[in-house]
Formats: sequence, structure tokens, C-alpha cells
Amino acid sequence: MTRPVLQRLSSPRLTLIGMAMLGVGAALSYDNPAGTSVWVLVVPMGFLSLNLLAAIIHNPRIHQRGGLLVFHLCLLGIVILAAFGRLTRLEAHTELVEGTAFDKDSLIDVREGPMHRAGLDRVQFVQGTYTVDYAAGMVRGLTHCEVLVPAVNGWQRLDVGDDRPLVLNGYRFYTTFNKGFAAVLSWLPAGGGAPIRGTVNMPAYPLYDFRQANRWEPREGEEIRFWLDLDTGLTDKQAWTLAPAKTKASLIVKSGEQRVTLKAGDHVRLAGGVLTFERLSSWMGYKIFYDPTISWLFFTAIIGVIGLAGHFWQKLRQPDWQPTTKTQRSVDTVSGRVTT
Amino acid sequence: MNASFATELPWLYAGLASYALATAFALKGAWQAQTIGPQTTAGNERFVLVGAVGGVLLLLTAITERWLRIGHGPFVSLFELIMSQLCSLGIVYTLSYWRVPMLRPSAVVVFPAIWILGLWILFLDPVASPYPPTYHNKWLWAHVGFGKFFLAFCLVGTGLAGVLLLRAHTRFGSWFRAMPDDARVDALAWRFMLLAFIFHSLMLVAGAVWAQDAWGRYWDWDALETSSFLNWLLLGAAIHVRTTYRIAPRHGALAIIVIFVFAFLTYFGAPFYSEAAHKGVI
Ligand code: HEM
Repeated sequence: MTRPVLQRLSSPRLTLIGMAMLGVGAALSYDNPAGTSVWVLVVPMGFLSLNLLAAIIHNPRIHQRGGLLVFHLCLLGIVILAAFGRLTRLEAHTELVEGTAFDKDSLIDVREGPMHRAGLDRVQFVQGTYTVDYAAGMVRGLTHCEVLVPAVNGWQRLDVGDDRPLVLNGYRFYTTFNKGFAAVLSWLPAGGGAPIRGTVNMPAYPLYDFRQANRWEPREGEEIRFWLDLDTGLTDKQAWTLAPAKTKASLIVKSGEQRVTLKAGDHVRLAGGVLTFERLSSWMGYKIFYDPTISWLFFTAIIGVIGLAGHFWQKLRQPDWQPTTKTQRSVDTVSGRVTT
Repeated sequence: MNASFATELPWLYAGLASYALATAFALKGAWQAQTIGPQTTAGNERFVLVGAVGGVLLLLTAITERWLRIGHGPFVSLFELIMSQLCSLGIVYTLSYWRVPMLRPSAVVVFPAIWILGLWILFLDPVASPYPPTYHNKWLWAHVGFGKFFLAFCLVGTGLAGVLLLRAHTRFGSWFRAMPDDARVDALAWRFMLLAFIFHSLMLVAGAVWAQDAWGRYWDWDALETSSFLNWLLLGAAIHVRTTYRIAPRHGALAIIVIFVFAFLTYFGAPFYSEAAHKGVI
């Protein structure tokens, strides 16, 4: 009873149908995987997996040829690993101000598999400063971003950026083009409450070079508006380096009818308290990626290709493509060597 | 554009001239095979080989010259991609031509196909391209290298597929009299396609590792990823069709050509259709 079912399920025609379905699913996911139902890929892959499993058990043309068997088993392995990866992954973004520690509660745009185990609690690092090179025409070059990670004796300074992510506890932190400046401020309420110290992040730089503004409303007092007037050396005619640590800035503060320009260290008395512009700082936007299967996927794929290469090697020795007569190019006319 | 800065151009033109020599002798060989007989091709084959080797060496010089001029390898602009493809396709075809004498008459198909790129590059701007930050990665080399082997083996298979199709016409049949019967040419063509499939698989793996480093995800169905996955699937499906059904060599040849055209569009169309996404220039 099971044999005919297995036999039917292993049909090579079903493989072709499955492949066509997968092709359609891939074409539908094109450029918009987030907006396309994952089922357009899951259904064909599930179908192909069943078909392949049945063929591996039933069809001697696969299971009696070592290299080919390894290749197809690895295909199956990749599908299983990719599925497991989707269930356990985490993708998110975060923004970290220079001098602050990573906080797992600061994640935004979180996309998480239902089986993702919270491991971010054990991730610790402190954001440093960064530089980003730009070629003429505002083409972004290398990012060098400093982070401090706990080491045996104190903290270790690391340089990350671009294709060098910070990898901690399996979580990969990638710097992004989304980065900018922040103003470190302190606020002493007029009513005598506790002083507050914090940062106001400005929009991404140099993307929003023309709009370095933000606002904040103290508990007592009117809304305060801020503009950063930056001297970064930005020019799209020549190469330049964005270096927040070397950037000079003044902060324009507007509250009610009052408008003042502050240099780092200056303060101003506003309606609800005293505001001090302590210094200019920076923030970096990170993309966070976690998928425990990526190394397994890599090794499975490599073993699969090695299997296929072995199969190819065996096929090369078969005589079906070799010339049989002299007129069929058995003599190498360039070297004069006889090849048959 | 100020082309006088592009010091690689004389080497490029010299390389193309050398390929033109190889093309001319390949055509002469085919014509003589038709008018006199297959035994006359020996001298022509030597010149095809000389022209092809010369072309490869001159193109390698052009690439080196440009590399020294702009400070990075031929990985970014369409001009660079085509220049390096002209070279790598030449290297792999020349080696195959030398080591597998049986496929030599296919040069009359392969060289005109290479000329699509040879003519295209003449219309492109050799202006220096900025090097994206994510390209400072060793996996780029593996990815690009495997991809080059894939396309080149696909081209060798396409040359043989062209032979199978041209042979069907009485006008061209005698060009390929020196080659074995259709069944053998078909078998050899699909050996090269299987080799192309292996390198395509390696290209996908190396590309995924690079994408993980560069963009923080190994796969995201962007234009180039989708197109190359579909190409891989198409080739896998064609290999399966051939083992599932009895396919006439000419139908198989058509399939190979479709796969090659798809690969060609993937290489020279998709990356420039959605430029920023895959190249990281943002
Ligand atoms: C999922 C179900 C699949 C099944 C049941 C299956 C089955 C088979 C079988 C029976 C063969 C041996 C054919 C023969 O020489 O007689 C074979 C070969 C092969 N399959 Fe698959 N396969 C599957 C999926 C795939 C996929 C997804 C790919 C890649 C896109 C693939 C690529 C290959 C290759 C390259 C060969 C070698 C053919 C040759 O020797 O020239 N297979 N497969």
C-alpha cells in the first residue's frame, strides 16, 4: 500500500511541477518579500521536499549514486534549516547615542520568529564615536565605528562598520547609513525639581542636512525647539569625512518669543528653567540580525556542491560524449596530440 | 567624459582586435570546411587560438591598467563588468578550445556571442566608478569568480547548442562536419551545463555570505537575487526535464540558449535595473 503512494509521490514529473511552482513563488516575492505571503514559497518548498524524500527512498537513480544523493539531501537540509531560521530569527533596528550602553528595550521595527529565544539580555556594549568617508558627489565610503565590549580586564575597543558587524551572543549589529548628531543637554527646572540630563537626536545626517531640528517639552514650561548649525565640512564637490568628534556646532534654541544661539557649555534661562547645551554628540543607527542557522546553511550548501561535483566527475568518465572516429576531432590539430 | 584619461582604452581596443582575428579565422575555418573539407581547419584553429590568447592577455593588461588608474578592480560599473567578462569568457573558452578539440568548430557561434559584449563596451563611458563600502570583502572575489565560471561554461554549452541548431540547416551543416553526431555534441553541451550549474550554486552560496556581511541578511529577493535564483532553478529544471523525458538534441539546444539569454539578462540587466539596492551605493 505504502509503496505505490511513495512511488507516485516520487514522480519526476511532480518535481517539475514543484519547480514551476517555486519559480512562480520566487517571481511573486521579487523585490517585495515583506509584502508577499510567505506561503507562495512555503507551499512549493514543502511539496518539493515531500517529492524529494519519496524519490530518495524509492528511486535508485538518486539513492544509488552517492554524489547525487548527497546533493539532494543537502537541498532538503537547506529547506529545513531555512524554515527553522525563519522561526527563530530576529531582525530589528536601534539607535545608540555615543557613550550609552545598548538597551534591548530600545529596539524598533522588530520582526521576530515565534521560536526566537530572548538572548539579547546578555548583549552588552557601549557606543563610541565614528567616522564615515564620502567620495565626491556624496557617495558613501567606509564607516569606522568605535564600540566598547566587555573584556576580561575592563573594556575592549572594536572598530566595526559596513561589512564588519559587531557579533555578540549570535546577534549581529550592522552600522547603517542612518546616523547623525545629537545635542547633550541638561535642564534645571525653575520650580526646584531634580535636574535632568539627556540627549536630543537630530535627523539622519547628511541625508537631512537641511533639517537638523527637533523639539522637546519640559514638564513645566513651554515647548523648546532646537536647530543644530553644523560645521562638518560637507561638500558634494570633493571627498570629505564625516567625523562628529571633530565637528563644531552651535545650537539655536527657541522657546516662546525667546531665541538664542548656544555654543557647547553655554546656558540660557527659559520660562520653565535653565537649559545648558553641554556638548555635541552623535548617534548611530544599527540593523540587528539574528539567525542561528546561518553557519549550518553555509556548510550544508558547500557539502551539497561537493556531492554534485563528485557526481559530475563520475559523469565525465562516461563515454557518451567522447568522439569515436578520427574525423570526429580525435586528433588535436593544434598540438598534433591524439586524444582517443 | 574625458576619455583621454582612460589609459586602458588602447589595450581594450587591441584586445578586441585580437578577438576579431580569432573570429575571422573561426569563420574562415567554417567556410573552408564547407568548400574544401574538414581536414583544412588545422591552420585556422591555430590562428583562432593565437587570437584568443592574445585577446585575453591584452584585456588582462587593460584591466590592470584601469585598476592602477582608479584604484579598484573591475567590479562596479557596466563598463568594468563587461571588460572583465570579455576577459574571463575568453579565458574559459580558450582553455576549453585547447583541451577539448571536439568543440573547436563551435567557435563560429561563440565568438559572435562574445561580440555582443565587444560591441556594447564601445558605447560605454570608461569614467571611474566609486567603490561601495561593502565591496571591501573577500567574499566578493569568490562570488564574482564563481559567477564568471558559471557564465563562461554556459557560453561553451551555448556554442555547442548553436552548432546543434545550425546543423539542422543544409546551408550550415557542412561547417561542423568534423564534429561527432548530435547525440555526442548534446551530451558534451549538457556536461558543460552541469558544470555551469555547479558554479552557479557556488556563486549563490558566496553571494549569500557576502550579502550577510554587507547588508545584514543573506537573502532578500532583490532584483539580482531573484533573477539569479530563477536562473539556477531554470537550469536545474532543464537538467531534470532532460533526465525525465527523451528530449531531442535540438530542443535541448533551444533550452540551453534560453538559459544563456536569461543569464545574460541577469548579469547585464538586473544589477542596473535596481542599482542602489544590490550595490550598496546609498
Ligand atoms: C525536489 C525534488 C527533486 C527530486 C525528486 C529530484 C530527483 C532527481 C533525480 C531522480 C535525479 C537523477 C536523474 C537521472 O540522472 O536519472 C536528479 C538529478 C539532478 N537533480 Fe534533482 N531532484 C529534485 C530537486 C532538484 C532541485 C531543486 C535541483 C536544483 C535546482 C536539482 C538538481 C539536480 C541535478 C543538477 C541533477 C543531476 C543531473 C545530471 O546528472 O545531469 N534537483 N534529481
